[in-house]
Amino acid sequence: MKQEEQLINKFGKDSGMKVPEGYFNTLEQQIMQSLPPYPEASKSIVLSRWQRVKPYVYMAAMFCGIWLMMKVFHTATQPISLSLDNPPEALVELIDGDTFYDINYLHYNIGEFDADEQEIIMSYDNIEDFEKDFYAAE
Amino acid sequence: MAFKAPIDEKELINQLQDEKSAHKAFETLLHYYSEPVYWQIRRMVLNHDDANDVVQNVFIKAWNNLHNFRGDAKLSTWLFKIAVNESINFINKEKHRAQTSTDGDEESSVLKNLEADEYFDGDALQLQLQDAISKLPEKQRLVFNMRYYDEMKYEEISEVLGTSVGALKASYHHAVKKITEMISS
Repeated sequence: MKQEEQLINKFGKDSGMKVPEGYFNTLEQQIMQSLPPYPEASKSIVLSRWQRVKPYVYMAAMFCGIWLMMKVFHTATQPISLSLDNPPEALVELIDGDTFYDINYLHYNIGEFDADEQEIIMSYDNIEDFEKDFYAAE
Repeated sequence: MAFKAPIDEKELINQLQDEKSAHKAFETLLHYYSEPVYWQIRRMVLNHDDANDVVQNVFIKAWNNLHNFRGDAKLSTWLFKIAVNESINFINKEKHRAQTSTDGDEESSVLKNLEADEYFDGDALQLQLQDAISKLPEKQRLVFNMRYYDEMKYEEISEVLGTSVGALKASYHHAVKKITEMISS
């Protein structure tokens, strides 16, 4: 490399850093004197069968959980297309079942409503009073 | 790299991992590796007193972790790895200290630190080069020092730094280019 050669030619390989005389001998002695007691080997821990299997069981449970969540999410986000050709299952069951007669309840209510309306109309002696109250209510 | 040729490394490792022979073996290890490890640290931290503290920490750490050394790598590679980590930790602490101190000028403190070091007798040119090297990012500094001063092979540097040879070549190339630019500007 040309630039590397230029650096070597200009600066050489001496960094200008020095050490005190006999430094490395002193350093070796200093380090030997400051060594702590011989380190104890870390004891190998014997794992039970459950402890060995536990991570895999947890991982399997996690994947099952994720699968269930995705299933629920997928079902919840399915578009519902309703038509007469494809009525909801619940509605089909209701129509086919014995309880369908309950739908007549609507007619009873409508009849009652008609009776109330008639009663109100009859409470007026003339149509002008009725119209006056009717528009005032609006 | 200018290592003194060590004795049979496997034998030395066996002795280090046996409590009875560990002290004697560690003395041998220090005899072979204290100097190259010191220089590796010194070129990063620059000041002799700082390098002296860091190198002692490195060997104490090595002693405390003798059982963790599995012999997959060379002893020198293992020691250099510890030295690199300790040097970077030291530099980061110093940077943090410089930032929180009143002057806060960390770049000039590198130069001041070196100029104030009684064990630096370099001339203006050497000071200029060290100033440029100190402005490189940490990893480029390491690569530059290992290649330029220690003349380590890229394969050896790769083992110490855990970086591919290709990336190291590119890093060294960038470092040389940056230093050349800094010096010529």
